[in-house]
Parts: sequence; C-alpha cells; structure tokens
Amino acid sequence: MGRPRRDLSERALGFWLLLPAFLLLGLVAVYPILHLIYTSFLDLHLAYGTRGEWAGFANYHRLLEDARFWNALRVTLLLALVTVPGAALLGLILALLANLPFTVKWPIRLGLLLPWAMPLVFAGLIFRWFFESDYGVVNDWLRRLGFSPLYWLTNPKLAFWAISASVIWKTASFMALVLLAGLQTIPREYYEAAQVDGAGPWQTFWRITLPLLLPSLLVALVFRTLTALQTFDIPYAMTGGGPGIATETLAMYIRTQSVENLDFGYGSALAVFLFLLCMGVTMVYLRFITRQEGE
Amino acid sequence: MRAPWFRLGLWVAGLVVVVNGLFPALWILFTSLKTEAELTRIPITYWPQEPTLDNYVRAFREAPLLRYFANSLVVAGGSTALCVAVAAMAAYALARLRLAYAQGILVALVALAMFPPATLVVPLFQIFTALGLRNTYLGLILPHAALSLPVAVLVLYSFFKTIPRDLEAAALVDGCTRVGALRHVVMPLSGPGVFTAALLAFVNSWDEFLLALTLAPAREMRTLPVGITLYQGEYLFPWPLISAALVVAMVPVALVIALFQERIVAGLTQGALKG
Repeated sequence: MGRPRRDLSERALGFWLLLPAFLLLGLVAVYPILHLIYTSFLDLHLAYGTRGEWAGFANYHRLLEDARFWNALRVTLLLALVTVPGAALLGLILALLANLPFTVKWPIRLGLLLPWAMPLVFAGLIFRWFFESDYGVVNDWLRRLGFSPLYWLTNPKLAFWAISASVIWKTASFMALVLLAGLQTIPREYYEAAQVDGAGPWQTFWRITLPLLLPSLLVALVFRTLTALQTFDIPYAMTGGGPGIATETLAMYIRTQSVENLDFGYGSALAVFLFLLCMGVTMVYLRFITRQEGE
Repeated sequence: MRAPWFRLGLWVAGLVVVVNGLFPALWILFTSLKTEAELTRIPITYWPQEPTLDNYVRAFREAPLLRYFANSLVVAGGSTALCVAVAAMAAYALARLRLAYAQGILVALVALAMFPPATLVVPLFQIFTALGLRNTYLGLILPHAALSLPVAVLVLYSFFKTIPRDLEAAALVDGCTRVGALRHVVMPLSGPGVFTAALLAFVNSWDEFLLALTLAPAREMRTLPVGITLYQGEYLFPWPLISAALVVAMVPVALVIALFQERIVAGLTQGALKG
C-alpha cells in the first residue's frame, strides 16, 4: 500500500463526522418519504377502521375524480402564479432602494429583516385584522378615499387577493435580501463605464443591473416557487381555507385529509402529488439555470 | 456634497423600505396598547388614545402564554443546538478532509433536507404517533433540526473554507492529533460561523408552524405560533389578546435581529435557502 495511513484514518474520521447528519436526515426526511410513498398505495383510513390493505392505485384514481383536490390545486397554482412574480417585483424594488448609498444602514436592514423573521402565521393574523371589514386598516383607507368598504375575507374572490397581497408582503423581504446581496457583487466599474458612454438610468438598469442580477434572481425564484407550492400558514390564519373551500391550498387539503379525517392512504397520495410537483419545478429550474450558465 | 434633490430622494427611498417593513409590526404594537372599547371604534384610531397594559395582563392570565413561550424556547434552543452540532461535524468533514465525493455528499445533504415539510407532515404524524413522540419536545426538536440542517451546513461549509489550512497543518506537525487540531485550532476560530448558523436555525424553529401544529397540538405543548393562532374561537377573534401575545412572541426575534443584523444578512446570503 503506497498510500499513507493517514488517508485511511481521514476516511474513518469523515465517516463518523458525517454519520449524525445522515442519521438525522434518515429519520425525519428519507424514511418518512419512503413511508409516505408506501402508504399512498394502502387503504388506510383510521376513522373507517380499515387496516391498511394494499389498494394499488386506488388513492390516485380517487384523486383524479376529487373536485376538492382540483380546487386546491387551482388555488395553489394561482397563488404561486400571482405571489412569485409579485414578491420578485416588490423584492426587486426594495433591493434597488436599499442599495442606495445610505449613510445610516441599520434602519434599512431592520425594515428588510423584520418581515423575513416574522412567522408566516403572525403575518397572516395581522393581515387578517388589516382586511377586517369593520375595524380593518384597508377598509379605513377605502372609506377615507370615499369608497365603500369591502368584505375582503368573506368574499371568495377578494379573500384570494387579500391572501396574495399578504404572501407577497411577507416573502418580498427575503427576495430583497437575496437580490441586495446580488446587487452588491456587481462591480462599480460597469456603472462608471456606462456613465462614460452616456447611458441613462433606465438603460443602465436593463443592460447592466438586470442581466448581472439574473443568477441571484433565479435562485430566489426557485426557493420562492417551492415555498409558494406549499403555502399553508397565511391562508390558514387569515381564512382557514374559506369561505367554503375558496382559499384552500394543497398543503391545507393534505393536512385535512390525513391528520383531521385520518384518511392516511388518500392523504399520502395527495402529499406524493405535491412532492412530485415540487420535484418537477426544481428540475425545470435546474435545467434552465444550467442552460443559462452554458451560454 | 450631493444635490439636495438627491438627498430628498434618498430619504423617501429609505422611508419606503422602513415603513413597508415595520408598519404591520408597529400596528400590532399600538393595537396591543388600546382598550377594548377603542379597538371597536369607527373610524379606527392608529395611535392609542388611552394606552393601557391590560391586554398584556390578560394575555398572560387568560391563556398559557408563558407556557407557550417556554415551549418555544425549549424547542428552538434544543433544535438549534442539535442542528449546529450535527451540521458543524458534517461541514467540517466536507470542507477539510480529503474525501471522495465530498461535493456530491454536500449536494445530496442539501437536496435531502429540501423535502417539502408539507409532505413530511403525513408520514411524521404516523411515525411519531407510533413512536410516542407526538406532543413531546423531542418530537419537534428532531424535525426542526433537520429542516435547518441544509442552511447550517452551507453556512458552516463556506466558513470552514475560509480558515487557512496551514494553521491546522502546523498543529498536526506539532504533534496534535486530527481531533486535537480540530478542538484547539479550528473550533476557537469557528465561533462566528457557528453563531450565524445558530441564529438562522433558531429563527427557523421559532417561526415554524405546520409541523408544530400537527406534531404537538396538545394545549400544554403548543409553541407560540401554534398557541397564538389557536386562540381564535369559533365566532369571535380575540384581537386584544392576540395583539399583545404577538408582541410578546416577537420580542426575542426582534432582539436577535436588532443585535446581529449584519451576521444574519451574511448568513442568509451564504445559505440562501428559506423564504
């Protein structure tokens, strides 16, 4: 053996150092997902006393014919479609503003960090009160502007928009923090050169800032999309999925079917669907990012 | 210096960022100081007219807010300690040891822990029920630690990469063992990285709702987000109580942010993973 003994002990040390991480993830991520996939093929409904017989694809067939599932999928996708670009846009504006040469920086950082650090349900609870029909801030502003107050949380359409606005506010700050870091990596010389060439602020933004910000923007978009597909906390706190099931998301429906109705077989099939949806989104983004880098 | 219009623009820009970020928090703070009568007045008031601490007294007396607070501290503290310890070992191995597939393992660790929590709810509910881990601290500490693991590994990995290898090599030459070099050279230098990872893990756990709601719903085991959200009754929304409780629950996180802003921003952008 030509290789020194230290290499071997290094391998052993590496094994022991990595073992706890593997154990932790194995216990609360890998094994549960395998268990989930297995359960999705069982007829396991504790409330009906079924004992977990093999059911093949029965749960998945049921999913195709379940109007409430399609509603939840529609709500989830619409929410992602509205709040991901919404948060990106608001986050970009906040990042551009925060990147200006302030002499005192801590209030700006506080303004970005506090919404990020606030639990999602707390944002939901606060915005629930903002959109309250009698004593809410939003209707107060409408009244002052001469409009009649609206029933934000009891009207299905308005409830969706109230939730979207709250999600956008809550998640834009994270976007802004990531984009701000991206902005700060753009070399100053690029802007100086643009100035010499006589480029206006608009041109500078489209030709320099945005293209160079694209990698950070893509990373932020991937994570925002993944969390958008799992939206639970804010609608749970604001409307509980109501009125009726108008604002029920997939994550809420999964929890209702499994934890509340104790239909683990069907709940698992729903969760597997969400899992595949998230994986699919990640793959699409990864392909997009690698193609970007290849160019 | 700069033109006056530029400074005015700067002020406006700063105000937009600050007001956008702080308005909801300031709004609950002011609301929590209002009397119940003032809360149901139209038109609504923004600044409390007759400030009172009654809501805070009620929040502690009528609901087990103190218990929720203690639960959150135990769960967030426990999961932070576990997460950082496990992540530091893994990150050190990946950053400093000559391991085959280190890059692959790093990617896999991060990818593994990216599993959507919403899908983990169903199997963890079943498994933890079977193991008797529901409504226990350990039953929340384990998943919370795992959820923060990728961020912690990434933060610590990039931190360990910045510690010069020569320092360790020198210790080894001086007759230190590998573990000895780790304890006497690397660990004292890793304070800032460990601290950043710990801050992020703590905030993650303090804020987590879905798993806490599902795995520890018993009244005496609820964390702050769960306890406060479940205040709402069937028909009435006890806003005075909730606003005071929200303020109390936000104090530790607000303190952490105020004290360690720069470190949090640095950590967030190193392991930018959470929305």
